[in-house]
Amino acid sequence: MEKRLLQKTTAWERCNHWILALSFIVLFLTGLGFLYQSLNWINTVFGGNHLAKEIHRWGGLVFAISLILTMGNYFAEAVSFTEEDKKWLSSLGGYFSRTEEPPPQGRLNAGQKLFYLVVVLIFGLAISLSGFMLWFFNTSRGLILFAHFLHNLSYIVFAFAVPLHIYLSTAANPGTLRVMTRGTVSAAWAKKHHGKWARDMGVD
Amino acid sequence: MALEQVDIKRRLSGVDVPTRRKGLLVTPELCIGCRGCQTACKEWNKLPGDRTVNRGTYENPPDLTPNLFNRIRFVEVGSGDALKWLFISQRCMHCTDAGCMKVCPAPGALYRTDEGAVAFNKDKCIGCKFCVAGCPFNIPRYDEQGRVAKCHLCSDRIAYGLQPACAKTCPTGAIRFGDREELVSYAKNVGFKSLYGMNDLGGLGVLYAFKEKPSYYGLPDKPDFAPTISLWKGILKPLALIGLGGALAAAATHYITVGPKETDEGGEE
Repeated sequence: MEKRLLQKTTAWERCNHWILALSFIVLFLTGLGFLYQSLNWINTVFGGNHLAKEIHRWGGLVFAISLILTMGNYFAEAVSFTEEDKKWLSSLGGYFSRTEEPPPQGRLNAGQKLFYLVVVLIFGLAISLSGFMLWFFNTSRGLILFAHFLHNLSYIVFAFAVPLHIYLSTAANPGTLRVMTRGTVSAAWAKKHHGKWARDMGVD
Repeated sequence: MALEQVDIKRRLSGVDVPTRRKGLLVTPELCIGCRGCQTACKEWNKLPGDRTVNRGTYENPPDLTPNLFNRIRFVEVGSGDALKWLFISQRCMHCTDAGCMKVCPAPGALYRTDEGAVAFNKDKCIGCKFCVAGCPFNIPRYDEQGRVAKCHLCSDRIAYGLQPACAKTCPTGAIRFGDREELVSYAKNVGFKSLYGMNDLGGLGVLYAFKEKPSYYGLPDKPDFAPTISLWKGILKPLALIGLGGALAAAATHYITVGPKETDEGGEE
């Protein structure tokens, strides 16, 4: 097979993704420092609790803005549920078999659509909005309690989903990381993981 | 003086200070509403006066403020032609199971002293106000710098074996300071079968000798913090680490059992 590269993401999507990812890591770590007294040393690395609080707040603003921009990038694709998605879900993407190939998928597979809709959209909005409540509307006891609960609930979802997201895009599927570094993938990778998209791109 | 300085001084001085749990016994029936405790508290803690307006009552100020850690609430209860006029000290209860300390994300901003008081360190407070939401009694206040302020049971006095300023100045014994256990047995001896705060929230540091229902005096009958706090502390908080660990373990397990989906690059890569 000839060595051919397909453009899977735009430079804009990649910048957007990495700003979101970087802000997430900072928020995740400072959040961990605030959540557990035994992990409060993390916030010492960020300059102490006072500075960590400011970093967490302003980092949250960066995260929220990146999140909204991300929504613009994938929303239309993610809400379109196709026959391919059905097949992908019924075989769980072939991830629980050594040999099974994932059914041909469009640019986003069903798992990515779900990650986007559930984690990014629902819990991303929940953690951002509750964060802003805690920042700006902390005069109401009821609102603090509600936002504090929601913020932590979403945090759990992220603590679980993001490591899996990282695993699936690196070790689990070699050749995938370059979607977000170079923006291009090999034709062979495209055929294997996104067969329908590869066909649409003219790979046979 | 910050309590940490006191702690260091105390340890250096070698003064043997009992570390049994201290508390206050508040008996509204004995209170004459002189508010000497409010003044003594302000004096010891160097708190400025708040500007207030005449609301047609002797009760003043109308609520706790960052500059008022202890307030005498005036309770007027009319029954038929009779009017009952009661006075009750409103302040931090120094709960054993303290909602404020549970939710505080800045270690050391709220802390437990050797005597069982819930004290605060303004330097460590990051001003998130979670403690306000966590308190079942609506006690913590925030000063102009956005730092927590409340009664700390004169932790910098009791560490030296002195009484809190309010108890010291109280002329009638309506606010009584001592070992919590001794206060309980004292109250029993003078005829109070049960005390408010005896078992609530793991036992309050401030006990109330009530003759009527707590709500009569403006306190919750069954004080407790919001259920979301228990849910958060008991389930959500551990779940965050379990989720993180679980995700990592799942990924590692998947990698070594099912393995990655390699792409056949035709010899390249």
